[in-house]
Amino acid sequence: MSAVVEVPVAAPVASRVPWWKGRLVRVAVIAAVLVVVKAVWAGDFPWPGWIAWEALSPHLDRFQTWLIDERTAGDAGFVFDVFNGFRSFLDWLVEHLNSLLRWITWPGLLAAGTLIVWRFGGVKAAGVVLAMFGSFAALGFWSESVETLALMLAAVALSLVVGIPLGVAAGRSRRVDAALRPLLDAAQIVPAFAYLMPVTLLFSIGYAAGVVVTMVYAIPPTIRITALGIRRVPVNTVEAAESLGATRRQVLGKVQLPLARGMVMLGVNQTILFALSMVVIAGMIGGGGIGAVVYVGITRDPALALLAGVAIVAMAMALDRVTQAIAERADPAKRRDADETRARRRLRNAAVALAVGATVVVAKILGASGAYPLEAGARETSVSLQDWLLGRLNGALSYIQDPTTFLFHVLNPTATFVLQKLVLPLQSLLVEAPWFATLAALTLIAFVVSGLRPAIATFVAMSVIGVAGVWAKAMDTFSQVLVATLFAVVIGVVLGVAASESRAVALVLRPVNDVLQTLPQLIYLVPFVFLLNVSLVPGIVAGVLYAFPAVVRLVERGLRDVAPQAVQAAASFGATRRQVLFKVRIPQAGDAIMLGVNQGIIMVLAVVVIGGLVGSSGLGYDVAQGLVRGNFGEGVIASLGILSLGIALDRVTQGSRRGVGKRQDD
Amino acid sequence: MISRRKLGLLAIAVASAAALAVAAGALGGASAASCGDVVLNENSWVGSSANVYVLKVVLEEKLDCNVKVANITENQPSFQAMADGKIDVVLEDWDNTLTPSNQRYVKNGSVVNVGGNGITGVIGWYIPRYLLKQYPQFKTWKGLKGKESVFKSPESGSQGMFLGGDPSYVQKDRKLIEGLGLDLKHVVAGAEPAQVARWSTLYKQKKPVLFYWYDPQYLNAQYDLVRVTLPKRFNGCNDDEKTNAAAKTYACEYPSYGLDKLVSGEFSKSGSPALAVVKRFSWSAADQNTVANMIAGKKMKPQDAAEAWVKANAAKVAAWTK
Repeated sequence: MSAVVEVPVAAPVASRVPWWKGRLVRVAVIAAVLVVVKAVWAGDFPWPGWIAWEALSPHLDRFQTWLIDERTAGDAGFVFDVFNGFRSFLDWLVEHLNSLLRWITWPGLLAAGTLIVWRFGGVKAAGVVLAMFGSFAALGFWSESVETLALMLAAVALSLVVGIPLGVAAGRSRRVDAALRPLLDAAQIVPAFAYLMPVTLLFSIGYAAGVVVTMVYAIPPTIRITALGIRRVPVNTVEAAESLGATRRQVLGKVQLPLARGMVMLGVNQTILFALSMVVIAGMIGGGGIGAVVYVGITRDPALALLAGVAIVAMAMALDRVTQAIAERADPAKRRDADETRARRRLRNAAVALAVGATVVVAKILGASGAYPLEAGARETSVSLQDWLLGRLNGALSYIQDPTTFLFHVLNPTATFVLQKLVLPLQSLLVEAPWFATLAALTLIAFVVSGLRPAIATFVAMSVIGVAGVWAKAMDTFSQVLVATLFAVVIGVVLGVAASESRAVALVLRPVNDVLQTLPQLIYLVPFVFLLNVSLVPGIVAGVLYAFPAVVRLVERGLRDVAPQAVQAAASFGATRRQVLFKVRIPQAGDAIMLGVNQGIIMVLAVVVIGGLVGSSGLGYDVAQGLVRGNFGEGVIASLGILSLGIALDRVTQGSRRGVGKRQDD
Repeated sequence: MISRRKLGLLAIAVASAAALAVAAGALGGASAASCGDVVLNENSWVGSSANVYVLKVVLEEKLDCNVKVANITENQPSFQAMADGKIDVVLEDWDNTLTPSNQRYVKNGSVVNVGGNGITGVIGWYIPRYLLKQYPQFKTWKGLKGKESVFKSPESGSQGMFLGGDPSYVQKDRKLIEGLGLDLKHVVAGAEPAQVARWSTLYKQKKPVLFYWYDPQYLNAQYDLVRVTLPKRFNGCNDDEKTNAAAKTYACEYPSYGLDKLVSGEFSKSGSPALAVVKRFSWSAADQNTVANMIAGKKMKPQDAAEAWVKANAAKVAAWTK
């Protein structure tokens, strides 16, 4: 979901030769040289032991045993008192929110959700909320969904408490912005999977760990968008206020914040969506709720995982629509009830509060429970909808596993082909090529594509991987990422071009993209692990599905944004539509496509490492092992490797966008 | 700004929410019986669900306990969770108590071993029985030598494929393959359902497959599998893949596992009547497989399957609750 934040796309540059044209050729030459070098010295130069810090893993293991001793000791030190205090507070918060949501009973929760949203977001939004609760009840995940809502409520509220002030600070001060930027960049590049290990170590397992993991992921968009909102407030408005003698605080409170209200609400919207994409990851470390259902389902009953995934999508789509509706109403430019009197608004608030209260009281008197009744009992007599759906899904899963079916004979040869002709050769190229050749090739490509500083960053990040002793594993992961990115970019560019040329295609693609980007990353893996009878490919397919919508969106927008003068000029010289597309639009949209590659590769990385959980080899597997088998040292090192690989891949593919983006922002 | 009025409303809402939550907590506490809350941890394999839900039903029906089921992965995470009081009981531990980092928890008393659950666990290398017709020598690992390519798969190249277990399970196969000097490539299909999908598809096609598997497991009744004999255990035989010892030291079969019940230190001192039942809980592999098959084979809800078994086995249950 991380691509929902739109990064400013570079304005079309007026040079005749697109900047990337010569570079593609140079990159191809570098890759070709690497292939030749590998053919000559295959496997002769693995990362040398003398540059690797082999004692790192045992050191980390000792650190872990020390932590265990300290944490479980009777008199924990001051640092642990702080961590434990924070942890207890988070546990307390989520537990009580959850019991509150259950205490008001299911009709009460339904009334509260629907009526409050109706008050602030309108009838349509209220309908969406109703549909969301309906799907929880129908799918049979009421209690779990409520638990997830409680966890999300806590995580989102705390993210906003931390994020909005930081965003305001970054929006008003260049220095704060510059200090925060690298942190925010890193948080977006690092797959969430990589920081599970440190979080569980410090916060143990439970709600607190779930909230912390979610917050790490959800705070950056809040900060970014709030800052952008503050910065977008027209300078002359601020100056006008200042000239009238307003203090800094007054400018902020009376001018900047009110005018940025729409953007702040958009930030809330993005925070919620980012938080929701962490539900499953949080479920892995004790966050409970629907995420835990998915995680348990993956290890035992895949149909259950898929069904729970549907509930998460319902929740994400509903909360997305609702916050958008509320944001629209909060937008000062579109405010409909601006002339509404204060007294009237108060009256309406009171009416809503009263109605919710009355429902709760009536439900309590009637003895309604915290969970939707179908779950609580009466199961023995009738088959619930959940059972029926699970039956269907299980039927479908056993159909696709049946070696006698038609589907099996199409999919498995295809998967085997991809594995043998693409994944394995690439894996052997990257793993067996001399380490210095690969290192040099990547650094050079970063230099050619992105410039000197990114090249240095790439060199450092790749060296860290080598020194940490996970070079071969990182190359393994890298090869999977490359294959998936290749597919994602090809599919994304083709569909993006189609969508920019035809409104019908765009209309069909939008809901598909929405669903694909809302599903938790782990869910993608489930069907493919069963569908394809080879390893690695399921993780790659999942990565492609997760990443291509972002590429589509960027390419589509890039093509649409091509300066109309250029298009008109070409058309006036008699160029056909096709000529305009291939000679004008696509070359001019090179930056957008490059940005698509950049975002795509990072998203693919996130999914491919999660594949480690279901067995894909490489760094993700080590993290999974570290997490579930207690190989702490290896897990942390692999996390470090993923972080470095993410930074390196980002720098290699970032192109010249950073410079352009900055100019537009400021 | 999200006007001051709304902020005020929000503050009132939060305050009243907190008050309600506290009230709800107090109400919840008052309704619990003398047994109180017990948190059982359910692991990812079905046998574990069978243990947990049968005991849950017994504790609920006989002692009126308030039983919660947690799903925390085996090994380190669940040990940490016991130390932190997040879970009270683990009913089937495959000797995770022996690894050095977990020893810390046992030594400082935050995890207590309360004896076996009656079942002996076996881990090993398995093949389908139909393979023995063509390759009778596959009964032992020596017969695999030189014939590894029989197990070739798309991802194993010229080598044979060894299909590894669920990444979260106890295993040492990479080192074992190296120690035995076999030309096998260790391939992981994924979590247990994915691994089962992989080998059972090959089984249905009557193709060769060699994989990590274990017993008791309800699928062993559906598929006719044979355990490949590995070298006998010797003194200094190594099972912990983490200790980077010489590959040779791993070249021995897996030990047989007396499956242990663990409780958290806190729970062991709580004096809860449930503790006595947990200590007495013990059943056979056949019992466990019956319940596991109802859950995973017949797709019954674990709770329903457990209730059915408890109803049909009153005598066994009585021995735990006497």
